[in-house]
Amino acid sequence: MIPLEHWLYLSGMVFTLGLCGVLMRRNVILVLMSIEIMLNAANLALVAFNKYLPPDPATGATAPDGQVFVFFTIAVAAAEVAVALAIAMALFRRLDTVNVDDVANLRW
Amino acid sequence: MGDALFYVFGALMVLFTFLTIRARNPVYSAIFMILSFASTAALFVMLDAFLLAAVEVLVYAGAIMVLFLFVIMLINLRAAEHDGLRVSPLVVLVALTFLLLLGRGIADLGPVPAGANELVGTPQLVAKTLFTRYVVPFEAVSILLLSAILGTVVLARRSGEA
Repeated sequence: MIPLEHWLYLSGMVFTLGLCGVLMRRNVILVLMSIEIMLNAANLALVAFNKYLPPDPATGATAPDGQVFVFFTIAVAAAEVAVALAIAMALFRRLDTVNVDDVANLRW
Repeated sequence: MGDALFYVFGALMVLFTFLTIRARNPVYSAIFMILSFASTAALFVMLDAFLLAAVEVLVYAGAIMVLFLFVIMLINLRAAEHDGLRVSPLVVLVALTFLLLLGRGIADLGPVPAGANELVGTPQLVAKTLFTRYVVPFEAVSILLLSAILGTVVLARRSGEA
């Protein structure tokens, strides 16, 4: 049986890689992908916690709350990516760039 | 056998994630990201979250990835290319500090349950919880998705079109 900590270490490693991607890449699409990776790492930790949660003494069963949270996270991530990619498209059309360093102003 | 698979898929997930953030060409990044999410789906199966493994492949590796590839190909690829990792000492310091703090936090977690419970995330079980205790957030998500659709259409429209 894998200890819970190992799942969390894996999740933490992937999350840190996603953080590195956000900090080190300048292409806005890659920054978005890194954010998705971080969300995914958090999802893994949620499912792992749910699997190791002690059962409810009243019913003797464990509720799949963590898995339901992940379901919501995936839905929010899908909505977020659609809007963010539309912004990236509008950005490219207007400024001809996808480099986040070139986009320092909030409006033109 | 099952324990070895955890380390195999865990190593694959870390490897593909690293290749995703490192690849110069955004299309390669997208492909490596699919593989990273496929490894995550395999890990979900190992945690008995069968519905989530299927949803992960459908939504992430299917829908979101197609969206990414479409936008990469709509945006001029040559402009987006030649952007590798920009490694600066400050960023490395921030990432290492974050990793260390996270590791310390997990190590100091206190007493954790040693064994897994009997929870198996079948569609029936997850759906029952989703449509009873979490029915209001579920409806809120449907409103969120609708507003995301509207926002995306408005944002992606060329300026000047009606």
